[in-house]
Amino acid sequence: MTILKELNDIFIDVFENEDIVLTVSTSAADLEEWDSLNHIHLIVSIEKHFNIRFTSKEIQSWKNVGEMVDSINKKIAV
Amino acid sequence: MIFNSVSFSIFFIVFFLLYWFVLNKNLKLQNGFILAASYVFYARADWHFLFLLAGSSAVSYFLGIYIGKVTNDRQKRLLLYLGLLQGLGTLVYFKYFNFFITSFANAFSIFHINLNIHTFQILLPLGISFYTFRTLSYIIDIYNDKTKPTRDWVVFFCYIAFFPCLISGPIDRPNLLIPQLEKKRNFTYEHGTDAMRQILWGFFKKMVIADNCAAVTNQIFDKYLVLPGSTLLLGAFFFTIEIYSDFSGYSDLAIGFARLLGFNVTQNFNYPFFAQNIADYWRRWHISLTSWVTDYVFTPIAIAFRDYGKLGLLLAIILNMLIVGIWHGANWTFVLYGFVNGLYFIPLIWLGKLGGKKKSEHSKLMPSLAVLKNILGTFTLVMLTNIIFRAESISKAFGYYRRLFSLSLFKTPVFQGKLDAAVTLFLIGLMFTIEWLHREKQHGLQIDYIKSRFLRLGIYFSLMFIIFIFDFTEQHQFIYFKF
Repeated sequence: MTILKELNDIFIDVFENEDIVLTVSTSAADLEEWDSLNHIHLIVSIEKHFNIRFTSKEIQSWKNVGEMVDSINKKIAV
Repeated sequence: MIFNSVSFSIFFIVFFLLYWFVLNKNLKLQNGFILAASYVFYARADWHFLFLLAGSSAVSYFLGIYIGKVTNDRQKRLLLYLGLLQGLGTLVYFKYFNFFITSFANAFSIFHINLNIHTFQILLPLGISFYTFRTLSYIIDIYNDKTKPTRDWVVFFCYIAFFPCLISGPIDRPNLLIPQLEKKRNFTYEHGTDAMRQILWGFFKKMVIADNCAAVTNQIFDKYLVLPGSTLLLGAFFFTIEIYSDFSGYSDLAIGFARLLGFNVTQNFNYPFFAQNIADYWRRWHISLTSWVTDYVFTPIAIAFRDYGKLGLLLAIILNMLIVGIWHGANWTFVLYGFVNGLYFIPLIWLGKLGGKKKSEHSKLMPSLAVLKNILGTFTLVMLTNIIFRAESISKAFGYYRRLFSLSLFKTPVFQGKLDAAVTLFLIGLMFTIEWLHREKQHGLQIDYIKSRFLRLGIYFSLMFIIFIFDFTEQHQFIYFKF
């Protein structure tokens, strides 16, 4: 499974919406459920799933799903 | 200059004509014109503090450029702190200095220690809470790489001082307004007519609904000590409607005037009283402020506290709401107001029901019973904390609650002008009906879907007629001018 696919499953789980299909350019503006409150749940779920830890700076720098994938890849490679 | 005044009407008409018909060819001149007009607009209201507006703009302008240029992380952070210090420092000084002094002295007086501290005669510069948040978001966004600094100082000064939004918002982010200032604006007939509709709706809400509600609210809050609980309940109700129609009316005017100049500014209200829970309400009320505090206060704190689960989230929300509350002014009532609204989130956090979309009632004419129950429940919660918001002190707020929740709740209401209030109640119903029908639209009077021109004109003239007969001769200040 690619990182994107794993992320997609996490999104579906956190937002409780089976219709979500992520692309690298998907951003918060594209998903109604993706607001500041759900964002935290998302981050916690992602960190738990991949067993990684982001810094605040990294989290605040993401502009879209693609950048999240890049961050995850960097963490896993370490 | 308040929007519903003759002087502003003349000002705006002259500005509009020169802006589109004389200066439209040259973008730089047109922007210069906006800047000059904005400063004249501000000076007419509060010329003493023009230097502060210009000074804050200048500091942020230069800091923005340097933060963008500097590569050393430590230097970058230092510049950011400097900007935060300047912005928050001036805001805190003008707004909260006396509050800190008197609270400090009061704390000692509990122990019967009399600190002979003098407070200073500090005037509050008009609009400072609003334009300071613009300068802060600018430098924070540059620091976080979310926006690029602009080299055009006229564009930047216009962003800070843009006159439709200068006095009471909406608080636009740099990425929304600066690109529009850097490009040519276009005027279309459809755009212009819809902007006029929004302005008409804003005038209706402010001059008919808000000012008439104020007539009821003021007398009830002034005499709450001798009035029965039933009257106090009406007072809370009318105040809640008053502050909504006053501030959303002002926002419609600001947005409408900006649109007449070819600008799209931030939506500030999204029919908050149709919210079905408190989280949804705060997503719809004073959006430009709450989203600002969410992005710059809640999100970093919530990220830092993410290991503490629901408790961490609750703490972040409470801090968020405290800031939203205290932003309104230097009074413990605003602190309590924020705190209680934060506590309101507890059931939602614990049940995990915070997120996004609720059962939407898209294109259904009548709300279902379940939806209606949620709407009324949320409204009641909001109405109860508005008592604290309106009260002059916490003890007065509690006095109000004590009388409200007493047996006198079941006595007949007592106040002056019952007929006027009844008519106002009818008009409130009219306002909410119209807004309910248009709850998916940009603003309450977006009736371009009505094909019959006759019907549309009928609606405009009816509203104008109502405004005409219900307008008091005194001009009432907008509530949010004092924040």
